[in-house]
Amino acid sequence: MAFKLSEEFKAKADKICARYPRRDAALIPLLLELQKETGYVAEEGMDALAAFLGLPYSRVKAVVTFYTMFNREPSGKYHLQVCRNISCHMAGAEGLLARLSSKLGIAEGETTKDGLFTLSAVECLGACGSAPVMQVNEKYFENLTGEKLDALLDDLRHNRVMPR
Amino acid sequence: MPTITIDGKSIEVEKGTTLLAAAQKLGIYIPRYCYHPKLSISGNCRMCLVEVEKAPKLLTACSTEAAEGMVVRTTSDKVKAARRDVLEYLLINHPLDCPICDQAGECGLQDYYMDYSLARSRFSMADKVRREKRRPIGPNLVLDNERCILCTRCVRFCSEVTKTSELEVMNRGDHSYIDLKEGKALDNGYSLNIADICPVGAFTSRDFRFKQRVWFLKRTKTVCLGCATGCLVEAHHNENVIYRLVPDPNPETNTWLCDHGRLTYKALQAGDRLKKGVIKNGLIELEPALREAATRIDEARGAVAVMGSPWLSIEDNAALARLARDSVKTGDYCFDFNFEQGIKDGILINKDQAPNTAGVRPVKAAYGGISMGELAGRIASGKIKLLLTEARAAALLKDALKDSGTRVVVFAANRGEIPAGAYATLPYAAYFETPGTFINYQGLRRRTTPPVAAPEGVKPLWDVVNKLASYSGASLGLDSGDDALKGISF
Ligand code: SF4
Ligand code: SF4
Ligand code: FES
Ligand code: FES
Repeated sequence: MAFKLSEEFKAKADKICARYPRRDAALIPLLLELQKETGYVAEEGMDALAAFLGLPYSRVKAVVTFYTMFNREPSGKYHLQVCRNISCHMAGAEGLLARLSSKLGIAEGETTKDGLFTLSAVECLGACGSAPVMQVNEKYFENLTGEKLDALLDDLRHNRVMPR
Repeated sequence: MPTITIDGKSIEVEKGTTLLAAAQKLGIYIPRYCYHPKLSISGNCRMCLVEVEKAPKLLTACSTEAAEGMVVRTTSDKVKAARRDVLEYLLINHPLDCPICDQAGECGLQDYYMDYSLARSRFSMADKVRREKRRPIGPNLVLDNERCILCTRCVRFCSEVTKTSELEVMNRGDHSYIDLKEGKALDNGYSLNIADICPVGAFTSRDFRFKQRVWFLKRTKTVCLGCATGCLVEAHHNENVIYRLVPDPNPETNTWLCDHGRLTYKALQAGDRLKKGVIKNGLIELEPALREAATRIDEARGAVAVMGSPWLSIEDNAALARLARDSVKTGDYCFDFNFEQGIKDGILINKDQAPNTAGVRPVKAAYGGISMGELAGRIASGKIKLLLTEARAAALLKDALKDSGTRVVVFAANRGEIPAGAYATLPYAAYFETPGTFINYQGLRRRTTPPVAAPEGVKPLWDVVNKLASYSGASLGLDSGDDALKGISF
């Protein structure tokens, strides 16, 4: 396989592993590191990491698919992550998702052609008190309404929000 | 050693015993999906919830250890309601597949639904989560993700028994499903056990699927003769056809079965199953084949050798020994097999592929004979004009037989077993067609019980030997397999 963990990554990874009583406990922090490098965790990355930690590939894949924070494909500049869990659901998340989907012309899991937006539905973001919530890259947008959402999309398009 | 009370009955159990195991000892059955006695405890299905006095909530019997003075109830209204609720949850997304599902009739969902629920679904068919169906996963299994209840037995089997860890639960919540690496096959040599332990119709056997509804099957306990481990099995059959083998779990030898052993029954149904004799390459009727073999043996008298076989039962080996000593009257017979034995892979598969190496020993002890090396030497030096043995055993002498000019007469159940150049082949009743005694690598004596009958006219090997002897004019007087065992102690 062409993919290889860089020496740099391995050195960092060894340090992270040392923080835990068991090497495999470092799986999640290492996945986050890996994701930082390219914005997503590729299949080959999972393979390499599994070998590095002495874990079966399936275990790594299970963890990556369990958490919605891990992307398995390159995503758009803005990753729109709409919470669909109970509180947000009851506060209208479904409508927000549908609105985004029709405005952007993409379905859940897809990226717009211009590479600007990726749309995902995710599980509870831990901000139920201000439902409905959407996370864009690492930033939370809370108490959303249809109008706020439209304005936000506009701001994002024109680089008016989001430091990164 | 804590003493606990379950449904009014008290029992003292070893420390560490779970409530489920304690109840089992009392003959009280607690329903379970994820629990399996030979896998780690997972506690995910909640089907085993029981009421324990002073505990604020119901507890999972599979994962709760008995503690002194516990008072457990398994039939209270609370428990009954919990079982109904668990089943309702499990069935929310379950497809209405029973009529087309191969598990029907031995399905954990069907059985428990009848026993503990009988409630109407409050969820609409249209809202069910859809998943990939009928997906071949490796050479032996088909996976239907819609039917899966996520008990993780299959996952634990692959990580704990075969240690190959192919399977995992991917995603979460009602998006969860069982999967393995894309493009990989589930083929770890023990994969069909997964079809057994999957409590529902999610994993089914590619071999068995749609061959037979399980309620038509009859069950016969017998022995797997795929190698020297000699696992106990149950053959499931109907109208003289075997449809599958499943393990008959026992503390001595096996909980599981390997895929190779499990599929050995297919030799009976294979296209090359011998129902007639073979002379050179042509099929001929049984009687003339026997006569031909007897004539050749008579002709070669004085230069005939007989060899037993670790693939044959003690009865059949003993009959061959009698033939050599009392009918052919030769000293050139060999019952000398010394294959190394022991579990090869840490699970079940034996180093010795023959099932009865240990069982030939008492025959050798009773009849003596020459060693394998001596026999090979005599064949190679051209002293043996005719060798009579079993087909797979003949292969052991391949090198000696080459260019020796020895005529080889073998017993075989399938044409594929016949060694190249054999002069005559006589068919005999195979493993699942006749009773026989075997000794496994642990020295345990195992008798097979035939689930099916041999093809018409095809007889057990000892019987064929008996006939051969009588054609050559010396009766061995064998009326049964047991007759052949006389004088042999094991
Ligand atoms: S798994 Fe059981 S309940 Fe489900 S379709 Fe098959 S037989 Fe029916
Ligand atoms: S496939 Fe079968 S054994 Fe595996 S988790 Fe699903 S129900 Fe359990
Ligand atoms: S349910 Fe959306 S943040 Fe908790
Ligand atoms: S059997 Fe106890 S939780 Fe599944």
